[in-house]
Amino acid sequence: MQGLSPQQSTIQARLPFVAIFLILLAAYLVINLANFQFFPRSVRQELEKIGSSVTNTTLRVPAERGLIFDRDGEPLAFNIVQYRLGVSPDLVADPETLSDQVSNILGIDEFEVYRKTISDNVWEFVAGPISAEQGQAIAALDEISLGLEEIPKRFYPQETLAAHVIGIVLDEGLVGSLGVEGAYNETLSGRVLDLSISNVPFDLPKDRPAEQRGKDIVLTLDRDVQFWVESELKAAVEEYRAYRGTVIVMDPGTGDVLALANYPTMDPNRFLEIEDPALLENPAVQGVYEPGSIMQALTVASALETGTITPYWTYNDDGHLEIGGKDIWNRFFQAHGTADAATILIRSLNSGAATVGLEMGTEKFYSMMRAFGFGQATGVGLFAEERGDLKIPGDTNWNESYLGYNSFGQDVKVTPMQLITAFSAIANDGIMRQPRIVRQVIGEEGIEEARPTTVRRVVSTETAAIVRDLMIRVVREGALGAFMRGYTIAGKPGTAWISTAVGEEVGSHSSIVSFIGFLPAHDPQAVVLVKLDRPNEYYGYKVTPHIFKRIAERLVILLEIPDDEVRSRLNAAKTNASADGS
Amino acid sequence: MSQTWFQHTFSRKRFQTRNQATAMAILGIAVLLILGSLYLSQVASFAITNREIEDLISRRDQLKRQNEQLIGEIASYRTVPRLFARAVEIGFRPATNSEIDYLLIEGYDSKGSKARADAFSPEPLEAAAPIYEETFSGWLEQQFTLLTEQLESFGK
Repeated sequence: MQGLSPQQSTIQARLPFVAIFLILLAAYLVINLANFQFFPRSVRQELEKIGSSVTNTTLRVPAERGLIFDRDGEPLAFNIVQYRLGVSPDLVADPETLSDQVSNILGIDEFEVYRKTISDNVWEFVAGPISAEQGQAIAALDEISLGLEEIPKRFYPQETLAAHVIGIVLDEGLVGSLGVEGAYNETLSGRVLDLSISNVPFDLPKDRPAEQRGKDIVLTLDRDVQFWVESELKAAVEEYRAYRGTVIVMDPGTGDVLALANYPTMDPNRFLEIEDPALLENPAVQGVYEPGSIMQALTVASALETGTITPYWTYNDDGHLEIGGKDIWNRFFQAHGTADAATILIRSLNSGAATVGLEMGTEKFYSMMRAFGFGQATGVGLFAEERGDLKIPGDTNWNESYLGYNSFGQDVKVTPMQLITAFSAIANDGIMRQPRIVRQVIGEEGIEEARPTTVRRVVSTETAAIVRDLMIRVVREGALGAFMRGYTIAGKPGTAWISTAVGEEVGSHSSIVSFIGFLPAHDPQAVVLVKLDRPNEYYGYKVTPHIFKRIAERLVILLEIPDDEVRSRLNAAKTNASADGS
Repeated sequence: MSQTWFQHTFSRKRFQTRNQATAMAILGIAVLLILGSLYLSQVASFAITNREIEDLISRRDQLKRQNEQLIGEIASYRTVPRLFARAVEIGFRPATNSEIDYLLIEGYDSKGSKARADAFSPEPLEAAAPIYEETFSGWLEQQFTLLTEQLESFGK
C-alpha cells in the first residue's frame, strides 16, 4: 500500500463494505421485485383491477335471446331492436332544423322536440320506443347531439298462433314468462356479460363473445296443424257459445305435442294490452277440471288390467248406485239391465263405471290412476304446469264416495295434458311416452336432440287392444258425430258437471264437455283431445264428436294419413317390396 | 500495474473528445430516430386499424339486426292465416281427403312432417381460421409504405 494517500487508503479499506452493501441492496430489490411479480392471486387481481379501472370501461352487454321455431323451422319467436332517442341540448347547433327533421321522422310534435333541444338539462329524453326503421333514419342524420339507445324486443311473427305454448317475455326482452319462454328461460336467455372495453386506442377491440347468446329451441308443434286446430276451436267456441275451449293433438308414439290450442287466446306482441288476466293462463296445463265420463274408459282399462273384469264381464244396471252416502245416477236416470263394459262406455253409464271402480277396490283403482299419471305434472315442458288433484284414501276429505265418483271422472281434477297423455298410452299399446313440446335445443356447441322417452308401461298390449276396440264401438254406436268415412276412429265423449261448494252447477252453460279420440285406431298417429267449458249444450256427445271430426279431417291431410283401405294396400305393397328385396 | 483501476479512474481529469465517438453518437441518434418513427407509424396505423375494426363490428351488428328485422318481417308475411287468405283470394280452397290420391314411392316416409323436421338441422357456424401469408420482406415493404404515407400526411 505504498504511495497511497491516507484518503485513498480509507476508501480502499471501506470499498468492500460498500460493494457488499450494494450487492445486498440489489438482492433486496430483486427479491422484492420477484415478490411483487408473484403476488398472491387475490392481491394481483386487485392491483390489476385498479390498473384496468383507469384504462378500461365496463359495458353491460345484454345476451341475445335464443329463437323459437316450429318443427319445420318456421320462426315463432324472434328478436328485434327498438330504440330510445335522447338529445344533448348543449351539442345542438341548429335547434330549428333538428327538431323539424326529428319530428318528421318520428311523426311527433315539432315544438315538443324543439323545447327539448333548447333545454338547460344535459340530457333530454325525446321519444321511445321507436321502430328500427325510425332509428336508422335518425342515425342517418349523423347528428352528434342525438343519442340512440337500443331496446331489445321479442317479436312473435305468427301473432296469436300457439301464443300459450310460446309464452311472453318481460323486462325489455330479458325474462321469459309463460309457455316455453318461461319454462326454458335459462336456456333461451343466455348470459348477460359485463364486457371490459379498453380506452387505449392501441388495444384490439373486443368482439361480443358468441357463447353468451341464448340457445335456439325447435318445438314439436306443427304450425299448419296448429293453425287448423285453432281455427276449428275458435269456430266451435263461437258456435256453442262456450266460455273457452282447448284442443291438444299428440303423437302417441313419440309424445310430441303437434298442436295445443286455447280459445280465447292472446297476441304475445301486445300482452300488455290484455285486460283479462285469465287470458294469460294456459288451460291445457294450468286449468284443472273434473273430466267427467271421459274417465270411464280409463276405469274400464284399469279394471281389465288388474283382472277385476274381463271382456265378457256383465252386471245388472238399475240406473242408480249409492256409495258413501251419495247417490250416483245414470244420464236421464235410465236403467239398462244386463250391461257389459262396452255398454258402460257407449251409454256413458256412471253407475256402471262406479260398479267397476267398487269391484276394483281403492288400492287397485288409485294405483292405476297414479300409473296413468293423475296427481302428477306430466313434465311436458310448459310454464307452471299444474298437478291436478287426485285424492287418495288417507287424504283429508277423502271418503268412500270418492271411489265411485272418481270412476266416472268427478271429484278428481286433471289437466287436459294429463288426460291426453293417459289416453296416448292406450293408443300406444299401453306404453306411456313422455309428452314433450321441445324437440331440439340448438347452441354454439351443437344440437341437443330430445329423444322420445318412455315413462312406463301402464297397461298390457292386450288390455290396450281391448280398450281400443271398445272405444271404436263407442264411435260407431254412441258418438256417431266422430265417425269418418274410410277411417277407423277410437274415441270417447265426456260430460262433466261443474262442482261448487254446495253441489253441482245447474242451468245453461253449466258443464264441461270433451272428446278424446285417436286415429287410425289400429295404427294411431294422432290423439286429439277436444274440451269446451260451459257450452250452450249440456251433453258432450252432442257437441264434441263433431268438432273432433272436423279437426281429424284436416289432420289426415296435414299428417298424410291415408284412409284404411289405401293404408292396407300401401302396407301390402311395402310387404311385397321387402319380400322381393330379401 | 502499480495503479489499481479506481486510481486510474480518479486520476483522469477530463473527458477527451474523439471524432469516432462523435460519429457513433450521431449514428446512434439517427438509429433511434428511425426506430422511433417506425414505432410511431406502427402505433398510429394500429390505432387506425382498431378504429376501423370497431366501425366494422358496429356495422356488422347493425346489419345483423337489420337482417333479423327482415327475417321477422318475412315470417310475418308467411303466416298461415295470411297465406291461406291469399290462396283463397286467388281461387284455391282446402283439399278434402277424398280428393287426395296416395302413391307408393319407394324410400319415402309417408309421415311428411317428420321427414321435413329431420331435414331441418341447422349447422352451427364455425369461425373461419385466420390465414397468415405474410413474409418478412412483405412486412418491411408494408412498413415502408406506411411510413411514407405517414410522412406525406405530416407534410400535408
